[in-house]
Amino acid sequence: MFDSILIANRGEIACRVIRTARRLGLRSIAVFHHEDRHAPHVALADVAVELHADVPTAAYLDIAQLLDVAKREGAQCIHPGYGFLSENAKFAEAVEQAGLAFVGPQSEVIRLMGDKIHSREFAVKAGVPVSPSVKQEGDLDSFVEQAAKIGFPLLIKAAAGGGGKGMSIVRSVGELAARARTAMGEAERYFADGRVYAERYIERPRHIEVQVMGDGQGNVVHLFERECSVQRRFQKIIEESPAPNLPRELRDRICKAAVELAASAKYRNAGTVEFILAPDGEFYFLEMNTRLQVEHPVTEMVCGVDLVEAQLRVAAGEGLPWKQSDLKQTGHAIECRICCEEPEHDFRPATGAARLLRLPEGDGVRFDGGIRQGQAITAAFDSMVGKLICHAATRLEACDGIVRALDEFVLLGVSNNIDYLGQVLRHAAFRDGQLHTGFIAEHAADLAQPPLDDTDRAALLIAAALGVDDFRRLAYETPEPHASIGAWRN
Amino acid sequence: MPRIQSTIQTGSAEFRRYYAHNRELARELREKQRMARFERPQKDIERLANQGKMMPRERIEKLLDPGTPFLEFSTLAANMAYDGEAPSASVITGIGIVQGREVIINANDSSIKGGAWYPLTVKKIVRVLDMAIENRMPVIHLCDSAGGFLPLQSELFPDKYMAGRMFRNQCVLSKMNVKQLSLVFGHCTAGGAYIPALSDYSVIVRGTGAVFLAGPPLVKAATGEIVTADELGGCDLHTQVSGTCDYPASTEEEAIAIGREIVSQWEHTPKWNLQRDAVEEPYYDPDELYGIIPNDIKRSFEMREVIARIVDGSRFHEYQPAYGTTLVCGYANIWGFKVGILANNGVLFNDSALKGAHFIELCNQNNTPLVFLQNITGYMVGREYEARGISKDGAKMIMAQVGSHVPKFTVMCHGSFGAGNYGMCGRAYDSRMLYSWPNHNIGIMGGEQAAKTLSEVKLRQLERRGQKVEQSELDRVYQETLEAYQHQMSSYYATSELWDDGILDPVDTRNALGVSISAALNAPLGQQGYGIFRF
Amino acid sequence: MALEYSFTLDGVEHGVSIAARQPELVLTVDGRAHQVAESGALNEECALLTVDGRRYQVWRTWEGNRIHLRIGNRSFSVGYEDAITAAQHHAGGDDTLRADMPGVVVAVNASAGAHVAAGDVLIVIESMKMQINIVAPREGTVETVHVAVNQTFDKGAQLISLHAEA
Repeated sequence: MFDSILIANRGEIACRVIRTARRLGLRSIAVFHHEDRHAPHVALADVAVELHADVPTAAYLDIAQLLDVAKREGAQCIHPGYGFLSENAKFAEAVEQAGLAFVGPQSEVIRLMGDKIHSREFAVKAGVPVSPSVKQEGDLDSFVEQAAKIGFPLLIKAAAGGGGKGMSIVRSVGELAARARTAMGEAERYFADGRVYAERYIERPRHIEVQVMGDGQGNVVHLFERECSVQRRFQKIIEESPAPNLPRELRDRICKAAVELAASAKYRNAGTVEFILAPDGEFYFLEMNTRLQVEHPVTEMVCGVDLVEAQLRVAAGEGLPWKQSDLKQTGHAIECRICCEEPEHDFRPATGAARLLRLPEGDGVRFDGGIRQGQAITAAFDSMVGKLICHAATRLEACDGIVRALDEFVLLGVSNNIDYLGQVLRHAAFRDGQLHTGFIAEHAADLAQPPLDDTDRAALLIAAALGVDDFRRLAYETPEPHASIGAWRN
Repeated sequence: MPRIQSTIQTGSAEFRRYYAHNRELARELREKQRMARFERPQKDIERLANQGKMMPRERIEKLLDPGTPFLEFSTLAANMAYDGEAPSASVITGIGIVQGREVIINANDSSIKGGAWYPLTVKKIVRVLDMAIENRMPVIHLCDSAGGFLPLQSELFPDKYMAGRMFRNQCVLSKMNVKQLSLVFGHCTAGGAYIPALSDYSVIVRGTGAVFLAGPPLVKAATGEIVTADELGGCDLHTQVSGTCDYPASTEEEAIAIGREIVSQWEHTPKWNLQRDAVEEPYYDPDELYGIIPNDIKRSFEMREVIARIVDGSRFHEYQPAYGTTLVCGYANIWGFKVGILANNGVLFNDSALKGAHFIELCNQNNTPLVFLQNITGYMVGREYEARGISKDGAKMIMAQVGSHVPKFTVMCHGSFGAGNYGMCGRAYDSRMLYSWPNHNIGIMGGEQAAKTLSEVKLRQLERRGQKVEQSELDRVYQETLEAYQHQMSSYYATSELWDDGILDPVDTRNALGVSISAALNAPLGQQGYGIFRF
Repeated sequence: MALEYSFTLDGVEHGVSIAARQPELVLTVDGRAHQVAESGALNEECALLTVDGRRYQVWRTWEGNRIHLRIGNRSFSVGYEDAITAAQHHAGGDDTLRADMPGVVVAVNASAGAHVAAGDVLIVIESMKMQINIVAPREGTVETVHVAVNQTFDKGAQLISLHAEA
């Protein structure tokens, strides 16, 4: 095992990695941009080194500075977390060339899986089902002609994309050409790669993914599935494991397909194979994420493992910590992503400061956070400030537990989605497990906060008034007998 | 403390008769008050609205802490003067709570002749500023006045207790560290200019507020200069150039908000720490007062029944219950404040006068405020009583009462005649507050006695001149005298002339006394000491 | 008619006042009376509030002119202005900025109709060898610029006026 680690990330995932590293006796080296100087990961690490950049996110993307810090501080390995450089093949390469271990897959696997078109081709070769698709190889007209054969509705995506950018649903042939042109433009702008592809668009699809772990020699185990269908702006907000209402046989087939894909790639370290599951039970390969996922805690809780520890052991060459038969799912875990955003305004990001922060407690409740009271929430970074996870014996108990935890969660000073998540988790369709990626849109009316009744609104305004010193004095510091006599007039 | 055992039969014909009578008096009072407060010619209401001004009572409501009392003084001042042209004497005075502090309000009512000062206006303002001095209470002046009412200048300007006294009192207050704030909503003309100028703090509203020794017409007459009110003494001139006013405000609402914030800066001055017990509502319903007070000034009634409907828990510790029984003396609590009560239960005899004098001394020794409940026809007259020294016994009571260092409060419950008025702390005797009930009559003697006395004087006059006296002439003298007397004896005449601090609906007595006693505690106790008692 | 404190929720202004303090606190919200009890506090930030018999746990914190609250398991943000500022806003303040001392105009950065933010430097004047920024006291629109560059002015002269607020 290593004795030191540099975490090339920030926020909750940096804290998460540092915790395991410390448990295993590794010296943790954090990096930070000036804007993050008061962030929890800086305080939590053994060493914290400032990175310099005009744009805060650029600091965490600066490979040269990161490697310089790693060398200077004597780091033996680098954990990239998720986002930032985690799926950057050049970074993985540079790390290994610098003689350090990269806690993640081989750079060529990152490169392969990072390309939507190549990864699909690889999946086809590995015998993993993919949805009918057409890639844009020549001009727009031939792409449109080929794509139309898939049938409608269909989805156009950027070849190099992610995060919903350059993505478009096309419902008729008439709008196909225009949509394709827009998607290409966006792809060019966001990813400097204008190639797009079209695939079958599945109505009411579910997003099912499988956590895998490989040793780089072709040995791969899976840690079962996660359901990540509840999404807004094409981003997950609630994840759980196991997936509800998923027949065991189908679940096994999906997991098997994931393992086969990863094994074919001689995948090393933790990865996630994402699938689209159609209502008819057909499932198609979506993509493979070559890193630790945001939602990994639900897997950790139902499997009783520490995925970061496993990542470090694999990276240190200790091989896979488990055989497939060691891995069992126990109970049910649900994760909610706590984001600073305005659900009532199409989830637009919100900024402010965490003036008051009180974390929920209770059996089975876990909070992976990267926020502390007083911290400013700026537009510089992602709006997610932490993840609330609840593990219980059954799905409904986990639902109840996380609703309770959300109710207890106090984050004041910046708009956030805590109350909105509560609405989702209380919704009958969610409790029934009637999930699909359009869940949020389908139930938008139900999920909006109900208007306050008169008493509740009065209570709110009264609570606000009693929070104003002037008003409090007025209410409580009136002399006697005047206070008792009240608004008497003679 | 034992509870007074009431013997009132609320079902009796007498109770119901009295009740109906006094309810009607209370209704009449409320109606007169309503008219004095709110009935204004439409043109005056519109004039204020067009100037962007609030009605003066609106200003007061916005200035006071919400949900707190306002004890208004002398609402019916001038109700029988100036042909009723100056309701409330064109000024609103009272005690209220601003930012948790007890303050005196002095608000010009510009909905009446531009807030001009009549003689009784000046008397009412001087009285309330005297009250501020006696009780060391901060004053908030809500200024909006055209100045002295010139046709009556001789009655409001020259004498000791006339207009100059207002400004003299302002200086005295400031010297005593009792704060004053002026909110200048309208004009402060001539002498009126000194109200903000002599206040420790002042706020002036831009556009409508103005302070000047002479308004534009007078300036033009004096020097030929033509100038607008705003140029002459408006907000910007006084807050930016002259420094006469401190804070500019764009609106009356803002002026009030600034004023409230100024008051919130004021220190909380310690009050005299009078023992205050837990408050208990009266056991007997104060509403029953209406059935206790007789419908005839000549009928007596049991004062303990009145006490039982004013004091906490109707509890009363009676002093010398068996001696001098025409004067009821004892201790009780009002809104938790311990007080000594002296209440008339008949004419004052030698023993009742001595008992009263002694009880007053006890209260002074014990630092207990005094409450006088008057229903008095006087000290007993006649050879026997003179021989026993009724004059010197009455003098002892007056001497003890005047020498008191504890605050005194008086309520005129029914009749107040002759020297009894003196002993029982009438207007001349510096009650911190003195209130009347609507049924109250006051005079040097009863109306019938006066009429009889005067008609007898007339008869002897005519007889000396050898003139024949017609009975009809005597009857006419009697009747005229009686009517004039009755007019001047009525509570409405008394309050019109500011012989009291206002008429109270009897059921309001407890609250009015509570606010008054609390106000009095703002002033430290004086030195104990008396003059020479004649033994 | 009584004094009200003004609070803004979702852009709507509400008036809160006090109707009575004894035997229990009665507050009015937009004129309607509610019985209120603060039945203790878990700590400085968390109070237990009863309104018309309903119990609420209230978390409360301040930020500038906003009160952030969590009540009934929902979070809200309520705007509050002290009485003077609120009165100025209600009046719509037709601010005219004036010169505190005589001087000369060095620069004029705004023209009539320009939208300005609080703190924007509108005019620079020079007086007693010092340059002084005349800044916008609030957000608004410039109504009139009363002076031009190199113009001299006396103490109290009008420099620039903002439109009265709606």
